[in-house]
This record gives sequence, structure tokens and C-alpha cells, in this order.
Amino acid sequence: MTTPQRRSAVSSEKAREEDRALLRRYHEAGDTTAREELIERHLPLVRSLARRYAGRGEALEDIEQVGAIGLIKAIDRFELEREVSLATYATPNVVGEIKRHFRDKGWAIRVPRALQELNASMSGAIERLTGRLGRSPSIAEIAEELKTTPEEVLEAMEVGSAYSTVSLSTGPGGDEELDPLETIGGEDEEFERSEHRAALEPALDRLPPREREILRMRFEEGLPQTQIAQRVGLSQMHVSRLIRKSLSIMREELLRMPPGAA
Amino acid sequence: MNELHERIDLEAPLSGDFQAVVRLIIGGIAERVDFAFEEIDDLQLAVERLLAEAGQVGSVQLSFEVGERSIRTRVGPLSEAAVAEALRDGDAPPGHLTLRRILGTVVDSFGVEDLGDGAIVVRLEKLKGLP
Repeated sequence: MTTPQRRSAVSSEKAREEDRALLRRYHEAGDTTAREELIERHLPLVRSLARRYAGRGEALEDIEQVGAIGLIKAIDRFELEREVSLATYATPNVVGEIKRHFRDKGWAIRVPRALQELNASMSGAIERLTGRLGRSPSIAEIAEELKTTPEEVLEAMEVGSAYSTVSLSTGPGGDEELDPLETIGGEDEEFERSEHRAALEPALDRLPPREREILRMRFEEGLPQTQIAQRVGLSQMHVSRLIRKSLSIMREELLRMPPGAA
Repeated sequence: MNELHERIDLEAPLSGDFQAVVRLIIGGIAERVDFAFEEIDDLQLAVERLLAEAGQVGSVQLSFEVGERSIRTRVGPLSEAAVAEALRDGDAPPGHLTLRRILGTVVDSFGVEDLGDGAIVVRLEKLKGLP
């Protein structure tokens, strides 16, 4: 008789085989749909790892976004000769990316709780007002809705949207923070600025599909945030944050790419 | 009738820690003109992307001319040749996300003033949408 443990082992072995097949399609045949599928398959792993870092002054979805960058890097760097599963290989990349993110924007973790709470309630207020007014609300209108001052609304906007542009290429601040498992994937080499750095598109590939689609809607279709938010089912504030962070991440990634890769 | 323009000048360090302060100031200025949340966000993003290209060392001057329905921003001098090149390039093909394309999306107009010796000032204009 098959035990639950046995069923689980079989299913995880099957998943590993499917991963390897997809990795082969991507790395050997250049099939980018296989890459997209790998990203989708392993997003639950990213979410699970991101949850460990929740409650540190950063929205969970933002941590997940950063973790997804680590996942994509792991998929891109995976060598088929490796004996490890993609999940094992990706874990240190995802965790490393999240830790680096927190390290680079340490100032934001010390945001007063009242501002964090105001930021959390702003998203709903903006959605309500946009629906009521049929346009993006002004700061004064948001302040009135939340019974606070425009200055506090502006400050609270920064809590959620400010993203440190400190270069990620500074690498880990101290390897003692990484446990052995978390260093399996290795760290990026540092590179000088590329002359192509003002053109961000080579780094577009590093972003998860949802973020790429949001950037495409904003900068190719020219859609306003409110319409993008409706299309992707997120709040306008969340779309704003994703755009900002995606552009920052792309630029930092570009700085870390070897010359000629851009 | 000529529109009244108030002017605010600011010199800020380029290091990343201060970019949030610049964003906050832009938000405060735009709020006075009653810009919508999305319009403020656009202007902040335009300045943020420009400053990101200017590096992390030294400082940058920003000036804001505030009209009844517009904010004209001057950022510079910026000495990065790559910034000037990216902004002067012709339209990039679809799918290519350049600084020029970003600015072209989030502000109503922008331009480059050549100060000589590789230094430029970038002008951005953001108009308030119809109420």
C-alpha cells in the first residue's frame, strides 16, 4: 500500500523531473516559455521564503517581488550538470536577494508605526476616491478621506514607495549573515558601469512576468496607473510601487551585468 | 494673462539616502498645486530616474517653478554623458525601455540644455490634468 510519505516523495521527484525538462528547454533550446513556467512553478517557494521576512516594515508583496528576482537569477544561472534540484539551488538566491534588499534600505525599516498604518490605509482610500471621483484623487482629498493632514499623507506615501537606490552591486555586507545553504547559488561579480546603463531593456528579463507586463502597459501602451491597476487587479499604490521598484531593480541589475551582456 | 510662477531652489546630495527627501519635497510642492496622486507620482518618478543616472557622489541642484497648473523642474548640472546620450537618442524601438521613453511617458515635456564641458541640465514640465 502506498503511504502518504511515499506519495509525497513520488510527487516531489516528478516535480524535479519536470523542472529539469523545463530547464533543458530553456537553457538548451532557448525556450523562454519554459522559463516563464519555471518562474510560475516556483513562486510559491518565493512566497514561503518571503513570509519569513514579513513584519519588518516592508509590505509582504514587495518582499515577494524582490525574492522573485532571486528566483529568476537562479533559473538563469542554473547549470544542467548540477545534481541539486532547482528549489534547493534557488533558495539561497531568493533569501540572499531579500537580505540584500533589507540591508540596502535599512533606513526604511525604522518607520514609525503610525506612518506605516497610514500607508496601509491609503491604498483603500485611493481606490475608494478614484471610484467616487472618476479620477486620481489629490493629496488633500486623500487626507480628508483619512482625517489627517496632507503632509502626513505625503510622508506615508514615502513609507511605501521610497526605494533605496543604493547600488546592490556593493554585495553582501557580511558573509556571516549567510548560512552555508544560502551561499550555494553564489553572489554576483561586481562590474564597472556599462556605457549602456541608461537603456534599461537588457535587464527587463530579470523581472517577473507580472512586472514586465506592468512596465509594458505603462511605457509602451502609455496607460495610466489607474487603468493598469484595474487590468492586473492590484491597487494603484501597489502598481506605483511595482513600477518604481522594477525600474530601480533593472538599473541595479544592469550595473551588475558584465560588459557586453547589456 | 501671464501665469504667476513661484520658484523653489534646492541643492541635495546625490546619495541614495536623500532621494526620499527629494521625493517628499516634490510631493509637498505638487500638493500645493493640487496635483493628483498619480501626477505627483509621475513627477517624482521622472526626477528619481534622472538622479539615479547621475550617480551617488556630490550634489545636484533642482529648481521648481510652480504655476497655477504646472510645475517646471530643472535638474542639473548633470555631468553624466550617458544621461545626455540616452535623452538625445531618437525614439527607441518598441520594447526598449530607455530613460527617454520613461520621461516621455511620465512628464508632459522635457528637454536638455547643454552647458558645455559635458554638463547638461534637464528640464521637465508636468501639467495638472483637468479636474
